[in-house]
Amino acid sequence: MAVTATTPATRPSAATSRTGAAAVTAALILLVAALAVVDITQGTAAVGAPEVWKALTGRAEPADASVVIASRLPRMTAGLLVGAALGIAGAALQAVSRNVLASPDTLAVNAGSYFALGLTAVTGLSLPLFASSGIAFVGGLAAAAVVLGLSGLGTGTVRLVLAGSALTLGLTAVTEGLLLLFPRQTEGLYQWNQGSIAQNGFDGVLQMAPIALVGVVGLLLLARRIDALALGDDAARGLGVPVRATRVTAVVLAALLSAAAVTLAGPVGFVGLCAPAIVRPLVRRFRGFTRTRVSLPAAGLTGAALVLGSDVLLRAVVAADVAVGVPTGVVTSLVGAVFLIVMATRARDTAEAAASERLRIRSRTVFLTTTSVLVLVLVGVTIASVLLGDSKLLLGDVLNWAQGRAGRTITFVLDTRVPRVLAALFAGAALALAGTLVQAVTRNPLAEPAVLGISGGAALGAVLLVTTVPLAGGWGLSAAAFAGAAISSVIVFGLAARGGFQQNRLVLVGFGVAIGASALISLLIILTDPFNATKALTWLSGSTYGRSLTDVLPLVAVLVVGVAVAAMRLTELDLVSLDEDTPRLLGLSLGRGRLGFLVLSVLLSATAVAAAGTIGFVGLVAPHAARALVGRQHARVVPVAVLLGAILVCTADLVGRTVIAPTQLGAGLMTAVIGTPYFLHLLIRSRR
Amino acid sequence: MRRLLLTAAATVAAVTLSACGTTEPAADDAKKTAEPITLTDATGAKVELDGPAAKVVGTEWNAVENLVSLGVDPIGVSDVKGYKTWDTAVPLKNEPKDIGTRGEPSMDTVASLKPDLIVATTDLPEAAVKQLRKVAPVLTLRPADAADPIGQMTKNLDLIAQATGTTQQADKLKKQFEAKLAEGAKALADAGLAGTKYAFADGYVVSNQVSIRPYTSGSLIGGVNEKLGLKNAWTVKGDESYGLAATDVEGLTKLGDVQFAYIGSEGDKSSTPFTGVLAKDKVWTSLPFVKNGNVHRLPDGIWMFGGPESMNKYIDAVVAALTK
Repeated sequence: MAVTATTPATRPSAATSRTGAAAVTAALILLVAALAVVDITQGTAAVGAPEVWKALTGRAEPADASVVIASRLPRMTAGLLVGAALGIAGAALQAVSRNVLASPDTLAVNAGSYFALGLTAVTGLSLPLFASSGIAFVGGLAAAAVVLGLSGLGTGTVRLVLAGSALTLGLTAVTEGLLLLFPRQTEGLYQWNQGSIAQNGFDGVLQMAPIALVGVVGLLLLARRIDALALGDDAARGLGVPVRATRVTAVVLAALLSAAAVTLAGPVGFVGLCAPAIVRPLVRRFRGFTRTRVSLPAAGLTGAALVLGSDVLLRAVVAADVAVGVPTGVVTSLVGAVFLIVMATRARDTAEAAASERLRIRSRTVFLTTTSVLVLVLVGVTIASVLLGDSKLLLGDVLNWAQGRAGRTITFVLDTRVPRVLAALFAGAALALAGTLVQAVTRNPLAEPAVLGISGGAALGAVLLVTTVPLAGGWGLSAAAFAGAAISSVIVFGLAARGGFQQNRLVLVGFGVAIGASALISLLIILTDPFNATKALTWLSGSTYGRSLTDVLPLVAVLVVGVAVAAMRLTELDLVSLDEDTPRLLGLSLGRGRLGFLVLSVLLSATAVAAAGTIGFVGLVAPHAARALVGRQHARVVPVAVLLGAILVCTADLVGRTVIAPTQLGAGLMTAVIGTPYFLHLLIRSRR
Repeated sequence: MRRLLLTAAATVAAVTLSACGTTEPAADDAKKTAEPITLTDATGAKVELDGPAAKVVGTEWNAVENLVSLGVDPIGVSDVKGYKTWDTAVPLKNEPKDIGTRGEPSMDTVASLKPDLIVATTDLPEAAVKQLRKVAPVLTLRPADAADPIGQMTKNLDLIAQATGTTQQADKLKKQFEAKLAEGAKALADAGLAGTKYAFADGYVVSNQVSIRPYTSGSLIGGVNEKLGLKNAWTVKGDESYGLAATDVEGLTKLGDVQFAYIGSEGDKSSTPFTGVLAKDKVWTSLPFVKNGNVHRLPDGIWMFGGPESMNKYIDAVVAALTK
């Protein structure tokens, strides 16, 4: 799709199309101007439309005038600049990758910049804006380079975005780890990460404008070559366009634009994805827009309208003093998540062929050895988890404890540590089982509860309950998490079902739901408990802190049921995961079975989230590693995956609790650090 | 992979076998000494102590400050470095063990200290408090109450004093505080400053964006200000506990011509926007109180959510700044 519009049946004459494009552009400019005017009348100071008018005509009180000049106008200009830069960057990235889903967010450019800035904040360096923009640029470019390098420039429409979204998750997890570790150095960085266009004076805007200008001018100069790319690599090469150089230059310029926007306002989410998407229908209507030189500015204008529109909307809906705390980016992220989902359901999925793993037939001995070794490792990790912590214990202590004759300290340490270890173990096992079931049912090697947004929905449900009923217990939390997970999975699977569960579409829709859920969680926590960023981070990054046995109970119950059901239905799982036709030929109707497996995996993920927060990628890594170790038969995959999941999360929790003790890191963070490279590795492998 | 797993298993087995023994003798029976104490804390829970607690852990800095003021040196403190940065009004007299962050203090470390008493606040998750109760009696304080900020502060001081057997010292502290209030109010009145419109805030700068936290009448500082005869100029609504609100530089224009004071910390670079990025900000520089030179930076290290000693230092600082 991208910029290459299908030729309309009746070709309008060049002249009318050009006036059409001009008229649309003029309308866009008018819209942006109108939003800009409304925007400068909103704010915390008592400076409304009449005062603004007076200020602009030079008749206002000096105080009002200074508000308009040093606060309102810079904010409005920043909104324009950020929106335009992101819109243009997104349009350029989509054009050169011929991918409607490419954008600074989905190529991890924003996450890379955020990570780089977080790293700088941690070192305690206080840098001038210009220097931090340089760091953001390097971070964003590096992330984009990794994503593009991994997925190959211009190949695979959806894989590119998957790689980018996965890297975004991983980098964000690491950055949030830094925030937890260095709460003071990074104070406010979390909120800043949501993106806010507030400004103090014109300094920031004036420093970033030249950088953005370089990016825009560069892209406009490159426009002709970008147009040629739309014809396909070979055709472009035939026209004498250096394909590779054009792509690299365009990506660098787009990264420059996004870095300018990120430095100025934080990552204002998804403008780069939405703006070109809104412009795209215009391309079909008015052929003037098919030329990059025209469509880039149009995307820029649309981006500006989006950012200013979100800002205006937010301040129109909530009181100005509350709106101060709600970053513009939360609003655009919510809008963007919806866009991502809608576009994913429409995107043509070229990478239909499943990433079939090399099927090595494993002998029974291999299975038995692997399982027994894993059981040994699991026992070892569990023992290590129980013994290690801020205070190191010995086995005798545990024996005393088990017999109820340990001293007070030991009793306590174990009383609190054991539930945490159990929460980690069972959450890992449950997520691994859920991942195995989801992958079997959807026959999708990239599917797992966190990536599919099921865990995100569960966390949203849990946070909703926690903020409204602070004393909610284990079962209540599990129920709320299940309600959230159920709603999100109905959305994800419902939308992906249209057009029959295409491989990557499902995952993209899931990503969209996951992003939307985390934006909503941020919004909820900012509105209800603005001074408690730790709370948000704990929920979003997965933590076993403060868990008691009663919190773990629902998880254990569901896990027992889950393992039992899986054990009884192993053949059915094998058949479901094979292909669409074999079961049908065998006269089996699998619709109900599938639904059952899905409900079970939603239950498993929801209780895991209630017990240990959002822990991503376990459900992905464990089944894969299991299949690599013992082959595809579910009789073997299920136990091995469950063991691996338990080992992985328990180890992550152990590391998080001990390495920087007495300060602690969430288990989810560590698993994301392990899981992201694994996800990317799977993506690369599936390219072959 | 398989070899890796085998090695891992072998290592684990070795560690497991060599880790026998105990780090603590089995079942120690506590000896009872002094009069038992029974208290009711902010959550309505009964706190029973065998006697005045001497080995105390504090999870929030206001509890820590109160303990130090009462002459009880806490053996465990959350984020010791942060406390030393933000609360130099009541410096730690010992080297307490760092028990981790204020949001998630480490259970293990707390337990290993074998405290007689843990002073926590309702800001800690209920689940964590429940666990801490198994280590030692937990006195859970309501950290602040916007309906009666000073009353809540003294209530907390009294509770801690009762639990540590230092009620005499607490009475002394309260009397000193009352005297300080009266003295400050008189000094301000003598200088003709009674009823002065006054706004206290702190601010943070992140990536060139400034957020400002107004301390409304419900905040502890706001409560003290009113006792001093100052009029709180903030019109924004604060939260239910700390009486804090949020605004930006623009929001300051609603203050009008007031006396403006703030506290930052040199040890925390992001906390001093008023002398930093705002120095060049046109909105800031055209605010009437900035133009008239009525912006006062009070000394670092006065903890805005602390106890009577921090507030004494605060009163001295305000009076000195305004009567200058």
